[in-house]
Amino acid sequence: MPNNDSINGPRLLEREDGLPPASPGLRLIVQGGERIYSGPPDVRSLLEARGENPAYVNVRLNGEVLNRRDFEKITLREGDKVDFLYFMGGGVV
Amino acid sequence: MFNLSEEEIERYSRHIILPEVGGRGQQKLKESSVLVIGAGGLGSPALLYLTAAGIGRIGVIEDDVVDLTNLQRQVLHATPDIGKAKARSAGETLQQINPHVEIDIYQHRLTKENIFDIIAPYDVIVDGVDNFPTRYLLNDACVMKKKTLVEGGILRFMGLIMSIRGGESACYRCVFEEPPPPGTVPSCAEAGVLGAVAGVVGTLQATEVLKILAGIGKPLYNRLLQFDAEELRFHEVKAKRNPGCPVCGKKPTITELVEYDYACETQAPKT
Repeated sequence: MPNNDSINGPRLLEREDGLPPASPGLRLIVQGGERIYSGPPDVRSLLEARGENPAYVNVRLNGEVLNRRDFEKITLREGDKVDFLYFMGGGVV
Repeated sequence: MFNLSEEEIERYSRHIILPEVGGRGQQKLKESSVLVIGAGGLGSPALLYLTAAGIGRIGVIEDDVVDLTNLQRQVLHATPDIGKAKARSAGETLQQINPHVEIDIYQHRLTKENIFDIIAPYDVIVDGVDNFPTRYLLNDACVMKKKTLVEGGILRFMGLIMSIRGGESACYRCVFEEPPPPGTVPSCAEAGVLGAVAGVVGTLQATEVLKILAGIGKPLYNRLLQFDAEELRFHEVKAKRNPGCPVCGKKPTITELVEYDYACETQAPKT
């Protein structure tokens, strides 16, 4: 599960020592952990920021599994809960 | 009181001493049957533990042959088994571990033509397949026949587990409606897998089966557990039945089995 918030797409604003972020950001609960993001807050951008390949994952937003075709259209809002559901086909090969 | 021999009582004593299992639970396991699809990365640990646990009847379906590259994680098979049919190799190993268990061997591939007949006699099905077409075929068949399925998948350092009570709890398609576009998600052969990750996931699948059969605790129904070995973390995601699910939703569009193309060149299902 890549977790490297890359320089592409929205930038993760790290909060050190519990201090608020330097600039306003979007607070999201991603994979159970609270994170603050800046940048265009759509689902695809979040995936890119997290280093996730949109082809590998489904996304569950506030309990609803999203249509994969809508990743770019759906705007994330403050406090949204986002979970990534990974396709894993392997077992034998 | 229970139909267990003295030898069986001694063999399963560490189960029987658990108040949640006891003689009654062990007897239930003996009266139960489980079908494991695939005797590879996930099937190996699942089969080893289910056999050792004293399930009465275990089916193994596998059409592949043991290969040197399998041995890094497929712990049912050993070096002298290279070239041998995996189903046969599995049967031999399992019978040595526990001669009380009846082992059914199916040395062929699951298809939409044979799947209903093969799954029918078993109480619980374990998914240890290596490809999306069979994974979806198995999910759909278990939903249609209201079978209990314990899903598992692995890739690189990740794994997932989900238990499905066909027609009652969220199914695989409720979460992953359609297979990923062809060529987008690599197989373990292409992307690799840490062997021990298969051990973790397959063992969790066996744990789920034993809990379900003995009526212990809370199965992973309506929950999807994802395992990240790099961070050594489990992440649970609540899953719920999707009213728009094409197989178990309110207006299902899949009412007979479909088999996606194995060549992965097209997503068009064969009906």
